[in-house]
Amino acid sequence: MPVAENAEQLRPAALADDAETWRALLKRAIPMIYGLFVRRRLNPGLAEELVQQTVFDAVRGRGSFDAGKGTAEQWMLGIARNNLALEMRKRATRPSLDGDISTYLAGIDTAPLPDEVLEKAETARLVRAALDELDEREQKVLRAKYLDDLPARTIAQGMGITEKAVHSLLYRARNSLREKLKILHPLNEEEAK
Amino acid sequence: MKRKEILEQNISRMVKSAGDSNRPSDAFCDSLVDRAIAELDAPDTDQVQRKRKSFMRIRFLKITAYAAGILVICGIGASVLLQTFTSQSDRGERAINDSDPLYYRLPAKSIEGEESPLVRESRKFAQRLRDQDKPRPMMPKPAMKRIMLAPVMKSKIPPPPMLQKTTSQPASSPSRSPVIGKPYVPSEAPNRHPMAHGGTTPPNAEAYDAMFFKNYGVNPFVDTDDDHLSTFATDVDTGSFTVCRRYLLDGNLPPNDAVRVEEFVNYFDYGYAAPQEDTFRIYAEAAPWSEWTGRQNSYLVRFGLKAMEVSDANRKPAILTFVIDVSGSMNRENRLGLVKKSLRMLVKRLRPKDKIGIAVYGSQGRKVLDHVNVKKKKKILAAIDSLQAGGSTFAEQGIRIGYEMADVAYKEGCINRVILCSDGVANVGRTGHEQILEVIKDKADKGITLSALGFGMGNYNDVLLERLGDKGNGYYAYIDTIDEAKRLFDGNLTGALQVVARDVKIQVDFNPEVVRSYRLIGYENRDVADDKFRDDKEDGGEMGAGHSATALYEIKLWQDKTGPVATTYIRYKDPDTRQVTEFNSQIATADFHESFDEATDAFALAAVVTEFAEVLRKSYWAKDKTLDDVLQRAQQLSKKFEEDTDAIELVDLISRAKKIMPPHSSDKQTGENEDVFVDP
Repeated sequence: MPVAENAEQLRPAALADDAETWRALLKRAIPMIYGLFVRRRLNPGLAEELVQQTVFDAVRGRGSFDAGKGTAEQWMLGIARNNLALEMRKRATRPSLDGDISTYLAGIDTAPLPDEVLEKAETARLVRAALDELDEREQKVLRAKYLDDLPARTIAQGMGITEKAVHSLLYRARNSLREKLKILHPLNEEEAK
Repeated sequence: MKRKEILEQNISRMVKSAGDSNRPSDAFCDSLVDRAIAELDAPDTDQVQRKRKSFMRIRFLKITAYAAGILVICGIGASVLLQTFTSQSDRGERAINDSDPLYYRLPAKSIEGEESPLVRESRKFAQRLRDQDKPRPMMPKPAMKRIMLAPVMKSKIPPPPMLQKTTSQPASSPSRSPVIGKPYVPSEAPNRHPMAHGGTTPPNAEAYDAMFFKNYGVNPFVDTDDDHLSTFATDVDTGSFTVCRRYLLDGNLPPNDAVRVEEFVNYFDYGYAAPQEDTFRIYAEAAPWSEWTGRQNSYLVRFGLKAMEVSDANRKPAILTFVIDVSGSMNRENRLGLVKKSLRMLVKRLRPKDKIGIAVYGSQGRKVLDHVNVKKKKKILAAIDSLQAGGSTFAEQGIRIGYEMADVAYKEGCINRVILCSDGVANVGRTGHEQILEVIKDKADKGITLSALGFGMGNYNDVLLERLGDKGNGYYAYIDTIDEAKRLFDGNLTGALQVVARDVKIQVDFNPEVVRSYRLIGYENRDVADDKFRDDKEDGGEMGAGHSATALYEIKLWQDKTGPVATTYIRYKDPDTRQVTEFNSQIATADFHESFDEATDAFALAAVVTEFAEVLRKSYWAKDKTLDDVLQRAQQLSKKFEEDTDAIELVDLISRAKKIMPPHSSDKQTGENEDVFVDP
């Protein structure tokens, strides 16, 4: 049985229904698992999904944890790697991207964007450029909602507006971003030239 | 997934991708940790292991069955071969007898027309194996009891046509054949949705299958010389608007019968200020409307009724019983998933001393969770998360169990409410809908109210859900997205739960000297006989804290007449003491705006919503109007409502409807009793 390298690593006997122990474990493990996925160049949205999948697999399958094989964090990272492998296998069976990203961006409200599109550096560059062209309030509300994952109530307090105004602003900001992307994506830039 | 949801999801993922952090946000971590901790308490927490064991068991059984089948076939094959050799020797004897050497070489048949028993059995067995691949014909079950509601109309308006069932076909698959008239055939395959009663594959190019709406007609103009009193029960339901919105967002026009003007109008916030001390405050406003209607001396009059507000802290404790439809159809579009999300949101907004109990119904009704305090949130959330859809729809049993639980948990001075979450109550059981409605009414009189929340498109019974909410002294709302659930539960939860006035009725007494005729726009199924206005046994509408109800009339004045126009009487009961209160308010021509443009923005918004609903339902009174006209007015108005998401969305909906609606619809207008005036 491996010796615990530091006092904070979870003792195997505590992997039961003790909420506090699980809370401490998850607070350490979640950023580690997320970092694993992001370093493998998965887009943050997909990384979050896989982190959730991993956490729930760990909680539901906690009876299968074997203290003899390592710490709880290592066990969870193992589950994360399995989920990553499954995701990669799924991708291998999917057809490769057809056309450039502008084709996908044109249908931004009719079909979910493939993960491969989101992971292209070009997409990130385009989205940053589009965000920078929005007015300040729209940028602020989009970042608060989607980067910081703040609820509408908190955003409202931070911006000094009502919750209803936050929803209204989000609605307009999403539509504005969609329009900016349509203007900025490479196909239109080529045509404009 | 709907377009709005797809856009939001894509924007969310794109904005995240544009960020450059290798760490998840704190909010994400905290939320995930909380949900994971809640999962610790969920029943069947070793789901993964149990599923694995169950899967292995099924695999083992399948392998065993295949192996046994192979052995049997080999055995029979061996017997056939054996029989062939033995019967060849028999044939040989006969052949010798028949003097025909060819018989030696005939397979299986020893004498023409005669088969050996083993060969016959093997042939039958082989046929059975082939037949296993074909779908077995089912004996049709007797058609389920149809939900036929008696017309609600009273007094001067004649009964509407019988219940009209709308069956429909997705626009993207026009090749499906219509199946009207086929008997109900329940599906045995576990993953198929139970077929909707009244329709399977929808015909007639309709958008969704088995959507049940009722045509309540369109109010006519009433001459004040004949009848100067207009009486109706208030209504704060919004289901019709949200159902129609779903149709439009999916790219379809709603059926005329789905449109109830008052529910469109009442969806929007007109900014009425709440009363400080009284239970209600009444608003009245009027302006010329001839420019829109094309009728001379036409005015639009808006009455608004605003109920007192109650703060969250002062709200009575709530004892809620969720009765959740978990039949197979709730798998469609993940309706049950939306129900769970909505209820989780509601649970998080409740106070620790509130109580929740849960009952469900699929093929059977059953209790899932006895009433517990909301402080045991994990247990409640785990029970909600454990729900799975499957089976048919035995609503009657589920509702009865829910009421039994509510009876046991009942406490005086609290909000005792059953919240029914369903996509449409296709089978209300052997006793029929009227008995259920009677039970619900009886319980409501004793203080256990019911609110009906509708989910899903296709196999959706708007008519019955609205009646359940009405009889239950609660309300009816339709939830198509999590945003709508937020609006209902996050926006004004106290209003959604705490009733401040029961049996609210309105009677408008028009002055025949000044008003020539009037038409109540909407409220066709809320009519109350004039002489029942002061009958306190007559059912009215219920209004929750902070709720408002708006009623619009088109009136025609006598030429050059001025003076008192109408007295509006409001009558209601206190929900606790049952004490009856009545008050009234007057409006005169001097209070009217000189022109429509002088009216308030809220008035103009109510007018646009009304115009939209009237055109959508093909009202006779809007027969010369198009959505182009409505859209123009809506777009001008939207500039004044920049902060109001609902008003912004209204413009979008009108625009969508305009694109779908045929340019000159030849459909018959809705309106059986048109009093067409010959203007002087």
